[in-house]
Amino acid sequence: MFSSLSRRRVVVLLILTSLLLITLDRRANNVVIDKARQAFSVVIRPFDIAANAVSKPIANAWYGITHYDDVKTENQALHDQIEHQKGAEIEAKTAINIANDLLKLNRLTSARNIKGVAARVIGDAPSNFQNTIEVTVGSRDGVAVGMPVTDGAGLIGKVTKVNPDSSFVMLITDPQYAVQAQVFSRVDQADASSTTSSTTPNTAPSGRQLGTTTSTSTTTTTTTPVTTTTTISALGATAGGTTTSSTSTTSTTLPSFRVRRETGDVTGQGAGRPLLFSLIDDTALTNVKIGDVVETAGGTKSLAPQSIPIGTITAVTSRLGSRSPIVEVEPNASLTQLNFVSVVLFVPNQAAI
Amino acid sequence: MRSLPFALFTRLVPVALVVLGIQRTVCATYRVDGVAIQVVLALAAGAGAGAGSERGAFAGFALGMMYDLGVGTPLGLTALAYGLAGLTSGYVLSITPDPQWWLAAIFVSIGSAVGEVAIPVVKFLTGQEGWLTNRLILVIPIVAGAATLLSPLFVPLGRWCAGAKRRTWRAIPE
Repeated sequence: MFSSLSRRRVVVLLILTSLLLITLDRRANNVVIDKARQAFSVVIRPFDIAANAVSKPIANAWYGITHYDDVKTENQALHDQIEHQKGAEIEAKTAINIANDLLKLNRLTSARNIKGVAARVIGDAPSNFQNTIEVTVGSRDGVAVGMPVTDGAGLIGKVTKVNPDSSFVMLITDPQYAVQAQVFSRVDQADASSTTSSTTPNTAPSGRQLGTTTSTSTTTTTTTPVTTTTTISALGATAGGTTTSSTSTTSTTLPSFRVRRETGDVTGQGAGRPLLFSLIDDTALTNVKIGDVVETAGGTKSLAPQSIPIGTITAVTSRLGSRSPIVEVEPNASLTQLNFVSVVLFVPNQAAI
Repeated sequence: MRSLPFALFTRLVPVALVVLGIQRTVCATYRVDGVAIQVVLALAAGAGAGAGSERGAFAGFALGMMYDLGVGTPLGLTALAYGLAGLTSGYVLSITPDPQWWLAAIFVSIGSAVGEVAIPVVKFLTGQEGWLTNRLILVIPIVAGAATLLSPLFVPLGRWCAGAKRRTWRAIPE
């Protein structure tokens, strides 16, 4: 039947059928196609497992033979890195505790309060025009389309397709991916005075603002004079009926600085390329600098809750015809070496998906 | 020669499941310079070179549909691209009914290149921008080269999957 069609008719039939299917698939909540995908994921699973079972030992053996020295060197480097990070981890934990205390004090929520479900990465994108991964959790675990996915280092993407026991995650480097983001940049007092419009002494802190508050249309400026006092009391051992006690007090005063909150959208530019951070108000003077940390901004229309780290600014270059620079962000997460991830059980607004 | 729908269900689907399993695991993990080799596309092009344009187009379309269902790409996108790949590589049978292996390999290479280029083009036409980049200069030769290397295996396999028989020359009796 099909073979009797002429070539021209075959081409027309193919194109029309494909366009019809693409249109149907792009419409949200297409139950038939979703069911077909879910059924196919069950059918294909044994073939995946078989292909993995056959190929993995061979590939591992080959890699072990050809990269033995590299593996040893990498192992040593990782040990060194862990040693270095032990100190940084203690500082980070202290900072997180302080931040959480402040959030609790002001009755705000953070991403840490939202539950997540751990998942293993079982597949990279088989296509060259797709930045996705497949993970081992699905609708049975409470995963839904649009939920943000993180690893230990930061945001890695969002769930785009959900099967009962697996899901597809679009990575943040995909050109279709965009998320609202914020960056808190420290500003020298001299710089800040030249860029702010008003300064009001603050007696009752509100939200993230401490000390002196300054605001423009898109930024929030915070001055943070922080004084930390730590008192350690210890009771010594009792020896011969005498109890010794010691008290040590340490006072630390951090230098005061201004923090500006800039918001915008972070979009992907393709695998291997940095993310692009576009400020909402591109006429505003910005103080973002290389090294500033970009995180999710949250909000009702955002794909992710607030304060999930995205990456670090690696380049700020000026743009012709605009005061707003081109800001490039290197993702915190190593997107090519993902093994375990966490799907944050945060249901974003349907309009954002 | 088997009818095409019969061959698609009894031959192509089982073979496609195995090849798709390889694509989703082996080819997705072990890349050449960051480029995933497309074995399903090579099979679609092989079916075209072995069975002709029309059968190749339908076999490519079926393979692409399975790819879309298994990989999560928009349904119909890869089907269209792989259908075009099968159609293009099938033109080799317009030149000669019994092509040499190297001629079939060349057309498999061209067909797979067309199929791989078609994906970002269709994505662009359906509003998914950002894929028509310079990276295509790297991706296309690697994908086409791999398909060329696989063609001695995939042309006969594709012909069998599409339910066609190898055409042979027959002397006309006087």
